[in-house]
Amino acid sequence: MEFGPILRSLARNKTGAVLIALQIAFTMTVVVNAYFIIGDRQARMQRPSGVAEETLFHLGSAGYTTNYDAVGSLAQDLQLLRSTPGVVDAVAVNQIPLDSSGWSSGAKTAPGNEHQSVPTAMYMGDHRTVATFGLKLVAGRDFTEADVRDRVPNMRGWPDKLMVTQALAAQLWPDEAPQAVLGRSVYIGDEAPATVIAVIEKLQAPWSGWSQVEQSVLVPEKLLWPSVNYMVRTEPGQRDALMPLVEEALATSNTQRIVSAPESMDDTRKRSYALDAGVSRILTVVMVLLVAITALGVIGLVSFSVRRRVKQIGTRRALGATRADIRRYFLLENFIITSVGLVMGAALTVGFNMWTVSALGFPKIDLAYVAGGMLLLWVVGLLAALGPAQRACAIAPAVATRTV
Amino acid sequence: MLEMRDVSKIYRTDAVQTHALRGVSLQVSQGEFVAVVGPSGSGKTTFLNIAGLLETFDGGRFLLDGNDTANLSDSARSKLRNEKIGFIFQGFNLIPDLNVFDNVDVPLRYRGFKAHERKQRIERVLELVGLHQRMKHLPAQLSGGQQQRVAIARALAGEPRFLLADEPTGNLDTQTALGVMQLLDEIHAGGATIVMVTHDDDLAQRAQRCVTMRDGAVQSDRARAA
Amino acid sequence: MLAYYFRLAARSIRANWLVSTLMILAVGVGIGACMTIVTVNYLMGKDPIPAKSAQLFAVQLDSWSPDEPANDDGSPPDQLTYMDAAALLQAAAAPRQVAMMQTAFVLQPDDAQTRPFPLTGRAASADFFSMFDVPFLYGQPWSADTEASGQQVAVLTRESNEKIFGGIDSVGRTIRLSGRVFTVVGVLDTWRPMPRYYDVTNSPFGEPEEVMVPFQLHRALQLPRRGNTNCWQPVGDEDADAIYRSECVFTQFWVELPTTEARQAYAAFLDGYVEAQKAAGRFARPLNNRLSDVNQWLKDQKVVDENARMMLGVAVMFLVVCLLNTIGLLLAKFVGKAPEIGLRRALGASRSTLFAQYLVESVTVGALGGLLGLLLTWFGLLGVEMLFGNLVRGLVRLDGVMVGTALLLAIFASVLAGLYPTWRACSVQPAAQLKSQ
Repeated sequence: MEFGPILRSLARNKTGAVLIALQIAFTMTVVVNAYFIIGDRQARMQRPSGVAEETLFHLGSAGYTTNYDAVGSLAQDLQLLRSTPGVVDAVAVNQIPLDSSGWSSGAKTAPGNEHQSVPTAMYMGDHRTVATFGLKLVAGRDFTEADVRDRVPNMRGWPDKLMVTQALAAQLWPDEAPQAVLGRSVYIGDEAPATVIAVIEKLQAPWSGWSQVEQSVLVPEKLLWPSVNYMVRTEPGQRDALMPLVEEALATSNTQRIVSAPESMDDTRKRSYALDAGVSRILTVVMVLLVAITALGVIGLVSFSVRRRVKQIGTRRALGATRADIRRYFLLENFIITSVGLVMGAALTVGFNMWTVSALGFPKIDLAYVAGGMLLLWVVGLLAALGPAQRACAIAPAVATRTV
Repeated sequence: MLEMRDVSKIYRTDAVQTHALRGVSLQVSQGEFVAVVGPSGSGKTTFLNIAGLLETFDGGRFLLDGNDTANLSDSARSKLRNEKIGFIFQGFNLIPDLNVFDNVDVPLRYRGFKAHERKQRIERVLELVGLHQRMKHLPAQLSGGQQQRVAIARALAGEPRFLLADEPTGNLDTQTALGVMQLLDEIHAGGATIVMVTHDDDLAQRAQRCVTMRDGAVQSDRARAA
Repeated sequence: MLAYYFRLAARSIRANWLVSTLMILAVGVGIGACMTIVTVNYLMGKDPIPAKSAQLFAVQLDSWSPDEPANDDGSPPDQLTYMDAAALLQAAAAPRQVAMMQTAFVLQPDDAQTRPFPLTGRAASADFFSMFDVPFLYGQPWSADTEASGQQVAVLTRESNEKIFGGIDSVGRTIRLSGRVFTVVGVLDTWRPMPRYYDVTNSPFGEPEEVMVPFQLHRALQLPRRGNTNCWQPVGDEDADAIYRSECVFTQFWVELPTTEARQAYAAFLDGYVEAQKAAGRFARPLNNRLSDVNQWLKDQKVVDENARMMLGVAVMFLVVCLLNTIGLLLAKFVGKAPEIGLRRALGASRSTLFAQYLVESVTVGALGGLLGLLLTWFGLLGVEMLFGNLVRGLVRLDGVMVGTALLLAIFASVLAGLYPTWRACSVQPAAQLKSQ
């Protein structure tokens, strides 16, 4: 191959080559980083919350009158919800997974300040919570009605039994199997210890962006608060039709409170990850646009280089170059330029990633992405150069003897 | 042997048909030095393009060293051109981005020679034209005469059967032109076959044989005693 | 002469319409993408109250646990305990100060047919309105005396007044909020600080709360707490008032300090306050008070989201690619013009004349690209609003500064992109060009 002459010729005619190489380098940086970030966000967005999202919706009830009857309202509401046709079950809870507001606390295996506590989300609900949420227990037993404690406003402390998620158990007792954790004591805050009676496979905290999102505790409490969230489980396929009916029924049954608009868990998930989804979409548009623009740029610059070298191409043909030789020359030249750009691009890609890691706390890029990006842009570069190279080999050899 | 029988060529555009060659018949034998003369538009360049396989023709036959060139594919023509023909252009047609060595190297690469053979050949032809000291120079760093010498070296490097020269001194001053012609004479004396298109009668005098063209046809074909 | 250059530019753009369109597109898309992101960043981080941002200070006290800092970087909590906020308010050591927190109300309409609806609320002390330059449409803020007397008064925003009273002058009217009667004393004019710097802990890009009531009513009436509450130790007792005596932080505190001396004096006052508290057994951590002016506060609290900063990096690279593209296209275009340039030079055009002529062409392309870029920015911002909805509502508008910046950036970019190709084109030797004709 004619690497030597092409390189020496490029060295004397840098402008176009440098322009293409730089474009390729920056495009690669953006495309690879964007693709990596999108992948990271998609992976986050696909994490299961642990609850049966497709058959769940939730709505809030907030009593506002000064003499609001929280106890009576709760009983009445649950009775109404559970007797609605199409509703499988319903519970009153303090917070909803992915809903973005809720309680957190610190859990530890021994009391006292000298022990490091593990952050955890605190779910409170009665003995029907596991069934309504659709949680899966990997060890232990569900709460019974006898385990449930009444929780009035401004109450301190926690019930003497609780469930932890697998992720939290792994933090509290590393290397222990779920079964082995049953019966252990957990201290929430600095309160009296509670016994683990079950390990939940998965129950995400209300904050999707929290780094400890998998760490949750569920305690058996009957919420006698003026403000509660109802989580409602419906028969498959009936949820969306039931939502407005349930809202209306609750709102008219008791006017001492306001009922917030019901939201399906699917919508809660969407809301929770709106930023990630938006960022992914913007980055996708940016990637596509940028690759298209760069391809156009390569086409433009290779065309420019062909136009500049019409006479030279004719001469080469006159000296015996076949069409394939001419095509190969331009493709090879473009391949060299693209490769230089991609090497710069790989450095720039890693550099940009290092900046996002150190300044923004993003994850570190996997080098496979860099390799993939190089491969993609090699192909794009060659495809883009193909058109102009084709035009170059259509140049007639007779232009060599043409003086005009 | 280069043999044309009744070759014709018509250029067509939407509006006009131009008969560039009207039945040209000509034979050039091994070792001849032929000058083709004629006024502008007489068909000299078309003749040269067809002889050098740069263009196809519309009628007649053209045999190059016994190969019928009429129905060859583009790449077969390229191969034949590369092996049998060396071109010398009026405008030198050196590749500006390549140095002297790389310019001479161009046809040898298409020929598929190995690196050490290419190097040997390049050094030999550059020595022949007296430019072996300037191998690393770019065309822009050379005078017109030197550039044409490089072009001649490039044409010679593949040891072609025929050397086709298109107004080889057209862009040179008289003194330099003389030098280039002397070089061609020497090459001819070394056994090369040369076909030179020119409109300069003085130059044509130097050839063994002078073909005069007019309106796309051979008007006269005279041999001249050396 | 300039008019002639413009005519030539227009002719040239028309003659090479494909290349010209591509160039305008490249500049336009680059500017559009870049400006969309820059605008979002700019609005996220811009000074929300330029006239006073250097005089308003957020107060932070390190009341956190002896065992661990409130934040990993060692900074104090971003909010104050109720006790401290109330004490600082009481001390009134600054010319103006405000203690405040989020709350929520349910509005009970007078007619039984209309269902009650929720309103966002804020309990704030009286200086809030004068400190933050809040404009009033009707009425005025409550006075310090009114606040001290514990009267149930409220200030509505223009929007909530529209919702409750249909936009009339409601000063003096009463509203039922969560079972209590409040008298409207004022209605705000349109007010939308962006970002909502006075409380970035809770929705920094949200709208101001719909009902404002005096700070001390929060405890007196035990209004609900909304927004972030952080505790490092459990609330002491099991009564509704315990939270106000706890070490939990949920209150914001701002002071207005017009001069450096006032600032120093206030810092000294805060040190004294904390020392006194230490003596009383609180504030176990080392002295770590902070007074941050508005812009410092927005920076410290990382109001500009890291996604937006990453996008800014991406957008800048996007623009660079578009500019490289434009340089390439201009080069390609001007190479085709070499004969014309040679001819013009042979006819007596000086190099600088030609340079001016082609630069005018580059600038024209840039300006057209910039206009396209503005249009795309506008669409881009619409897209951002559609994608992010409430997260960025109000962030997505083009103001004059950004329009100007976009146009200047486009022209600057295309001049930059045009300089080298123009220089290359103009360094053509006239003789060389004509000889090869």
